[in-house]
Amino acid sequence: MQNRVIATLNKKIKQINSKVTLSLKDDCALLTGYSDDWDEIVHIGRLVAKTKKFYSVINDIKLNNFVEPTMRRPLIEDNAYDGMKVDVLVIGGGIVGAAILRELTKYNLKVALVEKEDDLALHASSRNDGCIHVGIDLSSKTNKLKYLRRSIPVYEKLAQDLDVEYDKMGQIVAFKSNWERLIYLLLKLRIKKNGIQETTFLNRKKLFEREPNLNKVAKFGVLFGTGACICPYNMTIALAESAVINGAQVLLSTAVTSMEVKNKEIVSVQTNHGRIFPKVVVNAAGVFSDVIAEMAEDKFFSIHPRKGTNAILDKKAKDKLMFQSTTIYEGLRKTAKTHTKGGGVVPTVDGNILVGPTANETPYREDFTTSREEINQVFSKHKNNAPHLSQRDIITYFSGIRAATYEEDFVIQKGKWTRNIVHAAGIQSPGLTAAPAIADDVVAYACELLGKVSRNENFNPIRKGITRVNKLSYEERNKLILNHPDYGQIVCRCEEISKGEIIDALHRPIVVASVDAIKKRTRAGMGRCQGGFCQPLIVDIIAKETQNKLESINKKGDGKILLYQTKGEQHE
Amino acid sequence: MNKYDVVVIGGGPAGLAASNSAHSNKAKTLLIEREGQLGGILKQCIHDGFGLQRFKEKLSGPEYIHKEIEELSSEIEISLLTFVTKITKTISGFELVLVNRQGVKKIETKKIILATGCRERTSKQVAIHGTSPAGIITAGTAQYYINILGEMPTRTCVILGSGDIGLIMARRITLEGGKVLGVYEAKSTPSGLTRNIVQCLEDYQIPLYLSHTITKVFGDYRLEAVQVSKVDEDMQPIKGTEHIIVCDALILSVGLIPENEIADSIGVRLNPKTKGPLCDQTLMTSMNDVYCCGNALHVNDLVDYVSESGEIAGENAARKQENNLQDLVEIKTNAKIMYTVPSLIDFNRETKKVILYFRSTKVYEKQKLMIYCNGEMIFSKKYSFVKPPEMERVVLDLSSVKNVHEITVILDDE
Repeated sequence: MQNRVIATLNKKIKQINSKVTLSLKDDCALLTGYSDDWDEIVHIGRLVAKTKKFYSVINDIKLNNFVEPTMRRPLIEDNAYDGMKVDVLVIGGGIVGAAILRELTKYNLKVALVEKEDDLALHASSRNDGCIHVGIDLSSKTNKLKYLRRSIPVYEKLAQDLDVEYDKMGQIVAFKSNWERLIYLLLKLRIKKNGIQETTFLNRKKLFEREPNLNKVAKFGVLFGTGACICPYNMTIALAESAVINGAQVLLSTAVTSMEVKNKEIVSVQTNHGRIFPKVVVNAAGVFSDVIAEMAEDKFFSIHPRKGTNAILDKKAKDKLMFQSTTIYEGLRKTAKTHTKGGGVVPTVDGNILVGPTANETPYREDFTTSREEINQVFSKHKNNAPHLSQRDIITYFSGIRAATYEEDFVIQKGKWTRNIVHAAGIQSPGLTAAPAIADDVVAYACELLGKVSRNENFNPIRKGITRVNKLSYEERNKLILNHPDYGQIVCRCEEISKGEIIDALHRPIVVASVDAIKKRTRAGMGRCQGGFCQPLIVDIIAKETQNKLESINKKGDGKILLYQTKGEQHE
Repeated sequence: MNKYDVVVIGGGPAGLAASNSAHSNKAKTLLIEREGQLGGILKQCIHDGFGLQRFKEKLSGPEYIHKEIEELSSEIEISLLTFVTKITKTISGFELVLVNRQGVKKIETKKIILATGCRERTSKQVAIHGTSPAGIITAGTAQYYINILGEMPTRTCVILGSGDIGLIMARRITLEGGKVLGVYEAKSTPSGLTRNIVQCLEDYQIPLYLSHTITKVFGDYRLEAVQVSKVDEDMQPIKGTEHIIVCDALILSVGLIPENEIADSIGVRLNPKTKGPLCDQTLMTSMNDVYCCGNALHVNDLVDYVSESGEIAGENAARKQENNLQDLVEIKTNAKIMYTVPSLIDFNRETKKVILYFRSTKVYEKQKLMIYCNGEMIFSKKYSFVKPPEMERVVLDLSSVKNVHEITVILDDE
């Protein structure tokens, strides 16, 4: 039966590219060969996945004349963690890795997380729109919907426990012609099928009451009350800090370079800080999750990176744009084709507006560059929703890479061939929303693999964040300043962040003493001047607080140096 | 609650002059400064060239500020390291909420003078694309690192934009042993003062490339190189003209924006051309009893004019309001004039001596400025040339004109 499917598919594939062959690896589809065109490689992968006749698609078609850049690695090489033994080693410090690590600390286990960058949430987990999705666009049989549905009811409480702001502002889908009421009926069926709660029909009047700046063509809309927004990197940092409070270890600037696998079992994991011996490995390596799977001799899926660019607008633009995430329905086909339903013109939890993202296939896993074309693409795409959208309001922009599989779904399971690995791979939107439930299942699988595991009776769910002083009442703020005058000294004028908050950020369960890390944790430098005034002040505060020289304080990581040694000092 | 006649926000040259003139006109004055020291951005401007108009001598920024502070009356209350977090309009004036190391405090004032200065445009506001490495900083930030902290943010750099701070920093980095490979300007004429082009670039053999811009940056950690392109008349990059320059920093001097977040928050109307508040000749904004001066009003090229505008605002804010009725006439201009400050004249105000600043839209030679009231010429002046980077100043006497319903400012060939 499968032989016939393969023969038919091979015939189709050969018409596209005669140098590509489809074969079987167990029950997985394996694509091999060469192509001159990356889009063609992705297209063939999708073609095979769409048949749904295979367990999964491994796409090993090589792009001609393409040398994949080596993974960005920390510059340090030493033996700091050599010989370390852990029950569970989580690879990847994004939202999913951090959620898993925290979940693991609910058991009496020795657990650690390795992250190749110098901070958590540096890639997909910070380069996204922060939406807690409602699940209207997901088909009912996907892991995406399964984990999203289980996460939504617990998210707000989790955010509360972790002292992370959760703004349940709602999401609206608006329609521009009355005949689309038919689509609305279909939508209602899906709302029911996907188990979506808190939906409200909005007539034109109510729609514009909630969203006065929406394109006037809109006729009616549906409000999804569970839609929310959150700061995705703060959530990741909070989860990891909570894990550390409960005994986990977070090893930053630690990259996995290879694994020793014997008899379908991972014996050790090689890093730039030496060899670590875990009983179970969790693969939450995002865009590198298929590379990690391959090291573990368990690669049964492939990641095809998909780049997205977002722009952040000045807080002043909010009043003329959106008050919740609202999009005008553009037809089913368009949504399906662009492979991104998230985003749009979205208010962030901090009061800015985010515009984006784009969705462009790329062979580069770490291409975080931006371009004029991508920004233009973002704005022209969403101009239809919000007529007042203007590139003049941009204060920053960034790109991220989604870790898409050919099935376009999450891979949450135990190893297919290797015994002691659990994958949390292929995570793209709605990964931020689905993370808590993913963590639940991954930890359950890990516990099964470990055998006898007991509950940690001392698990503390509460983590306190850094106090945002300008959000306190005048009385509370005054009281705080009287005891700690540093909270009364404003360093970042745009976001009104005090010296006290910056010092707080340097005394956390996980401390990263770089300008970017302080920026993420406090918002100092996130405003309209983008650190023009406060960056030197922050460098100075970090240097004094950590008792370092000014020139040893970096923007980020080892290589992102800000200052050079002055001549006088070189002669010393 | 402490009560004042005038509260000045910002302790740079504009705020210092405003405080002094408000105080000498008998107003109970409070000066609020965000930093620990008075002086604003001049603290880090250690080069000379300040004060030629005001003090008739060439001073460095700190010297200029020192002179201003020395003249400051000891009766003026000064609150340093203090941040204005909120302003609310009340029946009798305004309530301000202040934050400093002593706590949160509310004060009341009849009038406010905004002297909040300006900020620099950032790399993302001029659409710098590519990677996001360390080493892309504004000229002002570079100046703070070098002149205040004594640190070098670059060894070999290029500068984008020929604004005055960029030119000054080209010289400063060279003097500190750094290498400036070139200053790139997207416009076809320089943005900075001619004297700075001569003294900061030509004297140090630093090349200036007009009609060029940076189209891309490279480097995953520290900046490694930039891509430079020629631009067409619309300042759009021309395909095929790209070339790569290896350097460790990109210093930006691509324009200044008046800081008007506080003004905006209380509903003061802004002038889209200057990005500062719309003002009449007393420098009062669209909101009664709120005044604005210095670089918060419009970006100046000489600090002497910044101080002058502070004095005007201070003097008028201290004056008892004759009445609240306005008789506003908008100043109309022809296309050769980019903007005038003030852009409105209020004929119900006592102040009839009007100091009018203007900038031309382009470089023009042999021009004549003509000012008409109700179609009748009341002022004219000849210029051998006018340039957008160099602001012009004229003094008008409007005491003899009556029932004015139209004021027109025309710049035309002689």
